Amino acid sequence: MPKCTINGKEIEVKEGTTIIEAMYGSGEQKGEWPAGKVAHYCWHPGLSVAGVCRLCMVQIEGNPRLQIACNTVVTEGMKINNTSDAVKDAAKWGLDFHLINHPLDCPICDQAGECGLQDQYMEFGKYNPEMAEKKVKKHKVVDLGPTVVLDSERCILCSRCVRFTEEVSKTNELGIFNRGDRSEIGTFDGKPLDNKYSMNTVDICPVGALTSKDFRFRQRVWYLKDSNTICNGCSTGCNVKVYFNREGFFRVKPVYNEQVNGYWMCDEGRDVYKFANRENRWLKAKKRTSAGWEEMQPGAAAKEAGMVAKSAGANAALVLTGQYTVEEYEAIISNFVNELKSKNVFHWMNMPEKAEDFDGLLLRGDKNPNTKGLLQILQKYGISTKWSDLTAGLASGTIKTVVVAGPEIQVQFPDMKDKIKELSKAQNLIWMQSGKNSDLEALTGNVWLIPMKSYVEKDGTFVNYAGLAQKFKKVTTVISEALTLAEAGDLLVGKMLAIKPEPNVFVEAVRPPDRVVVEHRKKNEFVYRRGTL
Amino acid sequence: MSVVQKNTSEASKWYLPGILTGLGITAKHLLKNLFSKNQMLTLNYPEEKFEYSPRFKGNHVLTVKKDGSLRCTACMLCATNCPAECISIVASEHEDPSVEKYPIKYEIDILRCVFCGFCEEACPVNAIRMGPEWQTPGVNGANFHYGIEQLAYRPQLKGGIMSVVDDEERNKAGI
Repeated sequence: MPKCTINGKEIEVKEGTTIIEAMYGSGEQKGEWPAGKVAHYCWHPGLSVAGVCRLCMVQIEGNPRLQIACNTVVTEGMKINNTSDAVKDAAKWGLDFHLINHPLDCPICDQAGECGLQDQYMEFGKYNPEMAEKKVKKHKVVDLGPTVVLDSERCILCSRCVRFTEEVSKTNELGIFNRGDRSEIGTFDGKPLDNKYSMNTVDICPVGALTSKDFRFRQRVWYLKDSNTICNGCSTGCNVKVYFNREGFFRVKPVYNEQVNGYWMCDEGRDVYKFANRENRWLKAKKRTSAGWEEMQPGAAAKEAGMVAKSAGANAALVLTGQYTVEEYEAIISNFVNELKSKNVFHWMNMPEKAEDFDGLLLRGDKNPNTKGLLQILQKYGISTKWSDLTAGLASGTIKTVVVAGPEIQVQFPDMKDKIKELSKAQNLIWMQSGKNSDLEALTGNVWLIPMKSYVEKDGTFVNYAGLAQKFKKVTTVISEALTLAEAGDLLVGKMLAIKPEPNVFVEAVRPPDRVVVEHRKKNEFVYRRGTL
Repeated sequence: MSVVQKNTSEASKWYLPGILTGLGITAKHLLKNLFSKNQMLTLNYPEEKFEYSPRFKGNHVLTVKKDGSLRCTACMLCATNCPAECISIVASEHEDPSVEKYPIKYEIDILRCVFCGFCEEACPVNAIRMGPEWQTPGVNGANFHYGIEQLAYRPQLKGGIMSVVDDEERNKAGI
């Protein structure tokens, strides 16, 4: 375990750690740069070392020349410094070289605002470039594949994307072609960059050379807020960051979690934000009467539907998909079991034959974020029903009312149509889900459609394929009237919605015994302050 | 709250001196305007108009390129810089890769605008300027959300004002 001193701070690292890894931090502090930041483009913690950008120069005591931090291994007693004038000068000149052929594209570049070049330029910028030559023109707006657009002029040839396709996705589509200042990123023989993880190249691109087709020109990044959550695209449960503003959600990016997804996420998971956006959601609840559809407030609809569910009692059935949180399952199943005395709770599994599929990196065949969590709760209440029980119950008429917690990501439910057809045989159908569905809206009979909150609008826990429970926080509210499954469960059994009291952190629960109360302070302060009327 | 101190002196309680002083001032202006008309400040408004300096910040103009298309690249710096938040832009991908990004909607809510000129200061390509027009009343039901048609191609501009920043020239110069 060699010890080194970085910017005056003593750090103990593992054998074989490079200087930049030591500076990047490890364990709890990973990514926090505890000993000070160092400028870098080509180094990425999840990729191999290339050492091509020459920006992470550091001064090592006793070494006459500056060294790159990403490819120098820490040795015992090394004294490293990256705040000296020599280092700053090196970074400044390194940046100037990067910018020789960089176009002044920032106004139309999607990366502007989160661009490595902009960031470093503000820090070390050399505001008077000394390059008198004309800039080399390269290809712009190159269609690399179904998800990514390349602009080779903006590229600084850090080779992060090339190494990503080589090492992580192992598809080897990208490469650097030509030599010198004519070098360009490209795909061999014009083959498209088409793999399930291609958008990660956009994330790791430190400049705007690779941009996402989906996000392209839709927002400037400084208009977006971000918040961490868990991807609900499949049972891997990648930690992600969603970017949103009041117009809706715009993109999803991965967040590092060593246990789950590392630094990456799949392209499929980057599309799930669309199902949370307003235009794809039910805004109002709908009730089918003889006169047609009647729009209602979701809460009122759930209450009304609750009367039907209550009258059905033990003849009511609950169908759950694996797309809700553990807390919600707990709440609605306990309501069903304790209040309605019905143990007819069924698990609607989409694509059960593919559930165990795994592509070797992140993507799993079980397209529900919380199948494990649902099974745990079902087990807790001793429920072991099969779908055939429901089919039989519907046929014999013992199940009259069906409450369905439908899927949030409907594209992952190829059996949606069949299930709607099957469940609509029930006398009363109470269907709760967040997204629009035209098949449901075409139903006749006693139907309630109740809008639900999406995964970004609630707190909760997802249990992933490995049994790892991951808590996440609410990001924002898209449709404030929509209900969570827990709220809907309460309303369905006739309970009122109540704000659950949380321990107040501002008021002490117990007054300390030595606290003196002055007599005149006992007065109602509001009256006291208001003065005479 | 400010406290107004009233003039409570004895002299102010007399009626006629105040009235006569006021009438005197009125008469003085009447005579002055009667005999030297060209120094009179009043304009006969709809026929006569006051000329502001050419630097006056009036209604916005979106400049155009040589071919008459919009100069704006939809970078949204004006909308970011706008303190009144009156600019809304929707960007889109242009067919021509050398243009790449352009606005399909550019709207200024002129009633919210405070005419501070921050938008033209923020613009990196000289696409938005503030012109000399300021008399833009609207009758009942008029649209005060000025779109591209109004901002760039309104009849007063006679086909559009050309921007001074030209991409082709910059390309040739190797920038």
